[in-house]
Amino acid sequence: MLSTELNTALQEIAEKLGKNSEQGKALSQFISKGFPTSKWEEWKYTSLKDFNDTTRNWFPQGEAQISSSVDWASCIIRSTNAHFTVEKPCQQKGIELLNFEEFIQKCPDFSTIWEKKNPILDQNSLFDLNVALSPQHWVIWVKKGVDVDQAILLKYVVNSLETASAAQSRLLIYLEEGAKLSLVEQQNSAGTADILSNYVQEIFVSNGAHFTYLKDQDFQDGVSHIDHTFIYQEEGSQVDTFTFSINASLIRNNLHFYINGPQVVSNLNGLYIPGENQLMDSHTVVDHRMPHSESNELFKGVLMGNATGVFNGKIFVRQDAQKTNAFQSCRNVLASSRATMNTKPQLEIWADDVKCSHGTTTGQLNEEALFYMRSRGISLPAARTLLLLAFVQEVINKVDHEVMRELLTEKIVAKIQQSVDLSK
Amino acid sequence: MLLIKNLHASIGEKEILRGIDLEVKTGEVHAIMGPNGSGKSTLASVLAGREDYEVTEGSVNFLGKDLLDLAPEERAAEGIFLAFQYPVEIPGVSTTNFLKSAVNEIRKYRGEEPMDAVQFLKMFKEKMAYVNIDQSLLSRALNEGFSGGEKKRNEIFQMAVLDPKLAILDETDSGLDIDALRIVAEGVNKLKSPENATIVVTHYQRLLDYIVPDFVHVLYKGRIVKSGTKELALELEERGYDWIKSQVD
Repeated sequence: MLSTELNTALQEIAEKLGKNSEQGKALSQFISKGFPTSKWEEWKYTSLKDFNDTTRNWFPQGEAQISSSVDWASCIIRSTNAHFTVEKPCQQKGIELLNFEEFIQKCPDFSTIWEKKNPILDQNSLFDLNVALSPQHWVIWVKKGVDVDQAILLKYVVNSLETASAAQSRLLIYLEEGAKLSLVEQQNSAGTADILSNYVQEIFVSNGAHFTYLKDQDFQDGVSHIDHTFIYQEEGSQVDTFTFSINASLIRNNLHFYINGPQVVSNLNGLYIPGENQLMDSHTVVDHRMPHSESNELFKGVLMGNATGVFNGKIFVRQDAQKTNAFQSCRNVLASSRATMNTKPQLEIWADDVKCSHGTTTGQLNEEALFYMRSRGISLPAARTLLLLAFVQEVINKVDHEVMRELLTEKIVAKIQQSVDLSK
Repeated sequence: MLLIKNLHASIGEKEILRGIDLEVKTGEVHAIMGPNGSGKSTLASVLAGREDYEVTEGSVNFLGKDLLDLAPEERAAEGIFLAFQYPVEIPGVSTTNFLKSAVNEIRKYRGEEPMDAVQFLKMFKEKMAYVNIDQSLLSRALNEGFSGGEKKRNEIFQMAVLDPKLAILDETDSGLDIDALRIVAEGVNKLKSPENATIVVTHYQRLLDYIVPDFVHVLYKGRIVKSGTKELALELEERGYDWIKSQVD
């Protein structure tokens, strides 16, 4: 339940949006539900109870400061507090970066796809909040058969300046038939106060299209990032996601795959390394709605200090989805005796001719291995770091973008090393 | 080099070593033999610094330093090497990377400059030829999926690279067929010099056909109950441990 003060503030905004507009309705829905608390099954370990009492600046300004450019990106997009700008335009034909309204005018056929989408939104009041308050609905549109030869870089930044704030960024990605796109997203923050970063991405991948999505989530402490990524895949398409949760006070990733056609491949890779006073939560859904498709899910976590980790992996195999292959694996290392990991694989299988497997493990570093390494002269912190890096390498090595792979390795090594040194 | 005096060690409430006295000088090879459960492996572990054991009494002096005061990695840097009875699998870390870390940490401890990649490679190649080990084994994750023989050969390779002053071989012969045993023993013999020393812990005399000891000690119930030269090992082979037990009990 929202506090009276927050309730009044949001009601006022709802009036302005118009009670019957899509945004006004969404906000009313949010107001009636409030922020999720641990009483909500889907938010058992990730309570946002305190958010119900905090008044915020709901529309922080999106001042774009230009930062250093990179040479590997075909174009660079920036989202500062949910305001999108193009920092370096695309040279290649067949890619458009535009507002949703404009997009729908140019691509009226998309309306049918848009209306058909059917996400699982149980207990997700934050989705409503985003729809209601996002200042801009931005679209990346890749046209039929276009192979975007270099990755697009999206710099996602939230900036609280000096007041508690909330940014509601909303992005739509549409890959037409046979299109190919790799998106690299660097999520960062600035400012001195707390900020709620509530981000919705809806991604439509048409027949035979191929989409790669790499997220580097590296915020300051004080940032709570809630990420909703809903991916709709059609026949013969492939999507590979890589979610690296490196730093933030709180990260909740809702990563959903809806498999709406046969011969679909979905690869979900994730790595989270929360440290002292941090919580990282991955809620994934892979919904096999059609037959002959394949999903592979690999999530790994290193939990340091008094960190909390959550993994909830749902796989649905609907009655029509015969000959589905669905694999899930979640492995965690508690690098500190004060860290906690909560895992919950959830498989619902309605078809009878399928192959599904899942496995979750949570353990500590092998004491024998540590002694073995020390007996060869490797100090305890170095031995721990070496073992942890070996553990996370499996996920990092799957990234085929060399610059990003090196950058991620560097940041992950630095964070693990720092935490290991602190805890010795 | 190594002087052990009245060493007592326990695990939990159970006392396993009950007063060990042993002196090892440079250039010597000592064999520690004894029936199962006599404390052989415990002695090796205590010398290497395994923290499961608590030393309750006695002292261990290694090259003028109180060994018991040092962490396992400091002991390694001072020149102690334990070849494990069951080498541990380290997933995701190649032997090469593992040894690079080890060598440079040891050099740091000794106040020496780290080795660069070129120096490493050169040294590695020399040692590889020395113990006859294949490159493919070294680029794989350390000990992961290795056969028993490969693991032991890798231990000897590590020993060659780290060039210890005192090598302790803990039941290196266990799980080895006769060919692997010979290869491992050849490696150990090649690494022997007047400047270093070796302690061979073994249950059977077999290994001592290949690594010839200067002294043989029989450990029983946590004490050295008999010491002698290599002939003692042969006598044990022939008569078993029972005659020693009956002398002691």
